[in-house]
Amino acid sequence: MTAATTTGGALSPTPQGVEVLRAEGLSKRFGGLKAVQDVSFTHHQGEILAVIGPNGAGKTTLLNLLSGVYRPSAGRLHLGGRDVTDLPMEARCHAGLGRAFQIVRPFPEMTVHENVTVGALFGKPGQRLPKARERAWALLERTGLAAHADKAAHELTLLQDKRLEVARAVATQPSVLLLDEVMAGLRPGEAQEAVALVRGVRDSGVSVLFIEHIMPVVRDLADRVVVMDQGQVLAQGTYREVTADPRVVSAYLGTEEGLHA
Amino acid sequence: MSARNVEGGTPVRAAPRRELTLGAALPLLAFLALAALFPFLPLGSRAEFLLQIAFFTLVAGIMALSWDILARSGQVSLAHAAFYGLGAYGYALLLKAGLPWALAMPVAALLAGGASLILGAVTMRLSGMYFAIATLAFTEVVRTIIQNLPESVAGGATGLLVPALLGGNSRAQYALAWGLLAFTVLVSLAVRLTRLHFAFAAIRQGEETARVLGVSIVRFKLLAFFISSSLAALAGVLYAGKTFFINPLETFSLANSIAPLTTSIFGGLYTTLGPVLGAGVLRVAEELLHNSVKNGYLVVYGLVLMLSILWLPRGLMGLRRNKKHGGDL
Amino acid sequence: MDLFAQTLVNGLLQSGLYALVASGLALAVGVVGIVNFAHGEYLMIGAFLAWAGSALLGVDPLLSLPVIAVAVYGVGALTYRVSIRHVLLAPELNQMLLTFGLGILLQNLALMLLGGNTRTVSTPYQASSLQLGELSVGGPKALAFGLAAALLGALYFTLYRTTLGRQMRAVAQNRRGAQLIGIDVDRVYLIAFSVSCALAAVAGVLVSVLLFASPTVGLVFALKAFAIIVMAGLGNLTGVLWASALLGVSEALVQTYVPGGGGWSDAVFFLMIFGTLVLRSYRGAR
Ligand SMILES: Nc1ncnc2c1ncn2[C@@H]1O[C@H](COP(=O)(O)OP(=O)(O)OP(=O)(O)O)[C@@H](O)[C@H]1O
Ligand SMILES: [Mg+2]
Repeated sequence: MTAATTTGGALSPTPQGVEVLRAEGLSKRFGGLKAVQDVSFTHHQGEILAVIGPNGAGKTTLLNLLSGVYRPSAGRLHLGGRDVTDLPMEARCHAGLGRAFQIVRPFPEMTVHENVTVGALFGKPGQRLPKARERAWALLERTGLAAHADKAAHELTLLQDKRLEVARAVATQPSVLLLDEVMAGLRPGEAQEAVALVRGVRDSGVSVLFIEHIMPVVRDLADRVVVMDQGQVLAQGTYREVTADPRVVSAYLGTEEGLHA
Repeated sequence: MSARNVEGGTPVRAAPRRELTLGAALPLLAFLALAALFPFLPLGSRAEFLLQIAFFTLVAGIMALSWDILARSGQVSLAHAAFYGLGAYGYALLLKAGLPWALAMPVAALLAGGASLILGAVTMRLSGMYFAIATLAFTEVVRTIIQNLPESVAGGATGLLVPALLGGNSRAQYALAWGLLAFTVLVSLAVRLTRLHFAFAAIRQGEETARVLGVSIVRFKLLAFFISSSLAALAGVLYAGKTFFINPLETFSLANSIAPLTTSIFGGLYTTLGPVLGAGVLRVAEELLHNSVKNGYLVVYGLVLMLSILWLPRGLMGLRRNKKHGGDL
Repeated sequence: MDLFAQTLVNGLLQSGLYALVASGLALAVGVVGIVNFAHGEYLMIGAFLAWAGSALLGVDPLLSLPVIAVAVYGVGALTYRVSIRHVLLAPELNQMLLTFGLGILLQNLALMLLGGNTRTVSTPYQASSLQLGELSVGGPKALAFGLAAALLGALYFTLYRTTLGRQMRAVAQNRRGAQLIGIDVDRVYLIAFSVSCALAAVAGVLVSVLLFASPTVGLVFALKAFAIIVMAGLGNLTGVLWASALLGVSEALVQTYVPGGGGWSDAVFFLMIFGTLVLRSYRGAR
């Protein structure tokens, strides 16, 4: 009897809400390097969960495990009560995991609108092209990219590329949206816009898991925070709780960005 | 776009797609119309010869365009000769088995399409030069098998006689080839205007990203293989029916993989007009040069390929002044 | 048993030639990062030059070998300057297609100028053979193996014991880093690519003695070299040695023990390509 069957298909309500994503002991090694080690957490319906940690802590690797880019060396992943550990990337997307990459990956020879259309068209099975185009348009307007819709994606600025990443991921109609440092490099005003955008996405019923180094953004946005260091979960809880945790403080001390940079 | 640009290196790429207009389709329609009128021109005493050249230009167009369809999904194949050959041999063997030609032709195409799924499955996760080498190897394997089948079955190394297509009437043969090219153009446009375009282009431009966005690479890569190789097999059928004698060495020759690849790149990758246009230009050039470079007309293909990569990364389609829909259709 | 031993020896001798061709290819891949689809054509050029020297000037191929190596080094340098250099940073597809076009060009140029016939080179030692106990070994084969081994030894010595070799390995590992510590990367590329071509040409000289010269003779060796470097892992020079041995011996075994094996032994490397690629791609899947 595995952990998968104990919870069955039921979504067990907890004090924080209905569970949507649950990682159990996820691990990933690269040769001798344990990039992610025994990471467990629960993500609730409608929650905005932040994953923070110093550079090289394993955050992106964790996201790769969640979106199926890597197969974990150990551990299981449940989405909406279903064990999705063995699903390949495309099936995980269909199951409801949408992802924006830290290092932006636009399809360079497509227009911005086409880029988003790909997400809208294939994110869930059975989508029709005209409808997908329309939804892509709506998303471009929502993310402030409408003016650039017909530009080739390789003509965008990094900032616009980051928005495109988000728009494309949202276009797949995820139940959980995974964002990897989509606000890095934004000026404060722009970050505020991005924060509002993510809130809007959450308010439309999507649970959001985001990786971020900018602490004010984490403070404003996150319902709960998971702190990683050297591949492991160091602490989880509210922003206040984790920033008060001496282990978290010391993990951040030796790093150049510092906790409140 | 100078070749001296050591730092940049312009990728062979399509322009981003803007609006699809009738204007963009016009050159394509014009080309097909011209090709349709060709037999009615006053060709004089060399009519048979000219018709034959035109016939093989159409065949080259089918080959190039079908190759391009596969390339759109990021699969740059050196196996087109295999499907061309499988079409030719499949057709010949089906005729031998007593099928009428009109049935043998589509069945041969579907059989080649089926065979391509085997290759597609094996090469599913390969890319770049690994993919190219695997497809090259596949061609050799197919040729070796055909060549080593008992002579009573497929004619061994000597080859097979094939009944002439449409009783050898060259105008009728030309019309058939034109019809099949038009069909290939329609398929290509269909790929371009439907969800397939988005799937293929996404896989080509970032396979992992495409998968994370829900594009099923297994389904779409195999579909690209099936469509492309079935069309290539139709070209092979035309070849077999026109030359009425096929042998493994010529039918599966590497040249039959090189020509469509070069033609597409020269004409303009990932477009419908480009490969067709490229076939027209290169085949005519080939005939003009035939007397001076008898043995090695492939020299031209090698040179064209190199020069295209260095100076014309978007092929002929990139030469159009109206960049508004550069590389569009 | 004797037959088996004889087969093994034949296979191993053959693998010397394979390793020579493949190590050149691996050098270009490893250092310059270019998969040279025209590699076989430099072999072909070497073979024809050896034939020309022997047939027209009466020079033994083994004597003309150093001259040919230097000449083809020059051809390689020229190739690098006018073509390869301009696609170094281009997408892999461009690089692949460029060298592919180059291969087609060279092969068919030879076909155009020299015709499709095979040309044999006759040498006094052609029919000689060595007797090693029960085993007999063809003189040219043994010679070719010895030469290949010596050249490979020299290559590896250069790579691991000289400044140039260290620079090459540095560039192979990290182009940027090498540039930063003051290595002239362009020069290293030029040398590596040209040496790669020269190695192919030397192999071509040996091929002209063992087999013949023809416009397409390079293709089959290039394909086998691809099989070898794919098996060895791209750019892995040490892996080339055992992969070559594996290919040579497998071919010999098929030739000896499979009925009608002569025709099928050339298919062995296709199986190896397929097997390795499939295995690798599915092991590294996801
Ligand atoms: N594909 C890989 N192969 C080998 N090592 C890897 C690979 N991907 C990541 N690593 C290593 O795993 C560790 C965790 O990397 P990861 O990218 O997950 O960190 P991160 O927390 O996202 O850092 P950052 O904040 O800088 O984005 C690092 O030491 C990194 O070098
Ligand atoms: Mg990261």
